[in-house]
Amino acid sequence: MVTLEILAISMPISVLLGIALGTARVYGNVIIRGIASAIVITFRGFPVLVTLLLIFFGLSDFGIYVPPFWTAVIGFILCSGSYQSEYVRGAIRSIDIGQSLAARSIGMTKLQEVLYIILPQAVRRAFLGITNELIYLVQYSSLAFVVGVPEMFAVTKTFNSLYFRPVETFTTLAVVYLVMISVLVVFFRGIERRLAIPGIELTTK
Amino acid sequence: MNSNIPVLKVENLKKSYSGRIILDGVNLEVDKGETKVILGPSGVGKSTLLRCINMLTLPDSGKIWLEGVELTNPNTDINKMRQKIGFVFQDFNLFHHLTVLKNVTIGLTKVKKIPEEEAIKIAASALEKVHIPNTLWNKYPAQISGGEKQRVAIARALAMKPSIMLYDEPTSALDPQLVGEVLQVIKELSTAGMTSLIVTHELHFALEVANELLFIYNGKIVEQGPPEEVFANPKHDMVKKYIASIYSRKG
Repeated sequence: MVTLEILAISMPISVLLGIALGTARVYGNVIIRGIASAIVITFRGFPVLVTLLLIFFGLSDFGIYVPPFWTAVIGFILCSGSYQSEYVRGAIRSIDIGQSLAARSIGMTKLQEVLYIILPQAVRRAFLGITNELIYLVQYSSLAFVVGVPEMFAVTKTFNSLYFRPVETFTTLAVVYLVMISVLVVFFRGIERRLAIPGIELTTK
Repeated sequence: MNSNIPVLKVENLKKSYSGRIILDGVNLEVDKGETKVILGPSGVGKSTLLRCINMLTLPDSGKIWLEGVELTNPNTDINKMRQKIGFVFQDFNLFHHLTVLKNVTIGLTKVKKIPEEEAIKIAASALEKVHIPNTLWNKYPAQISGGEKQRVAIARALAMKPSIMLYDEPTSALDPQLVGEVLQVIKELSTAGMTSLIVTHELHFALEVANELLFIYNGKIVEQGPPEEVFANPKHDMVKKYIASIYSRKG
């Protein structure tokens, strides 16, 4: 199923992009920070729909043809990753400076400090926000239809135009999304439990 | 290595924050095996001095040498030198997401690139020195007491085999009943020959452990000497007041 394929690729990569962008905006030099900020501002500023159309039609003006499926995947990664990066950036900023000082005091380089001390803690703090973005990504994956990807929404629309039973078909579609997201929620809860640091309550009971 | 050179030498160290002078030309030396204790009222730059020594805070001017290597030289690999300077923080700063054991091994495996198995052995020996039983090794910082946290923090620094240990008010954040266990550990290490520079307000501890007391006031060392001498015959007014105030507080 195309929707699942799009999500299976774009979800994990968008998380990695989000972590990379968020980290770059805190620790990068002027150039790296500038590039990361530009990406985040752009793709949080553009409507997803417009991003997809620009990747698909805009790039073809320069002779670059991106197939519809990959247009959707790239667009979703950029958009979701940009949103997620802000959760990561906020989480990094919330880590007590003492963690950083302690890391440096045992001789860690800045990079080691970020990789082994700051990010493991920051990603845990950003986790709930990130899952929220991923659930939202499931929903706007339906926008892939605008560039002609035969994902669930597109298929349902075609189905409806054949039989003209909008209430039944779209209710079915809604339920399918609901089930998918429910499965994800359970999956995320599992990860959340595994990530929890004993002795520290990350979530309210 | 020349045994005549001090482990730590600080020369004319200066630091100010937005125009306010914190350190105004500090000179000090710590020889191998010595324990020096820095005393003085709050807010006179004692902690700033320690942080300048391992360059967590950059001094404005002055020079610092560790075993003859100038830390303040921009060409010195400061990350490498910091491995040789054990630093113990007032508020422990254990890595929250790591177990007690991992807190101690991470510097060994990631910084010194020592294989995991060997790192655990070194960590075990460091944790033993600070009396952390192996039943606590797999606990996380949030699951142990403040005194245990600080002792683990000492073990984390110790495991790196430092040339000197810097303690920045190591018991100030602890409940009174937990202070003793931490001071005991510091004293044991010091007695065993660990070169140490300690900032503290625990006067009795300072008297027991120090080879020399240093009093800082207005960014300068105003008095220094063996504890019994300084206490018997304080010269500087601040030192007199400080000693008097502490005795009156203790009753």
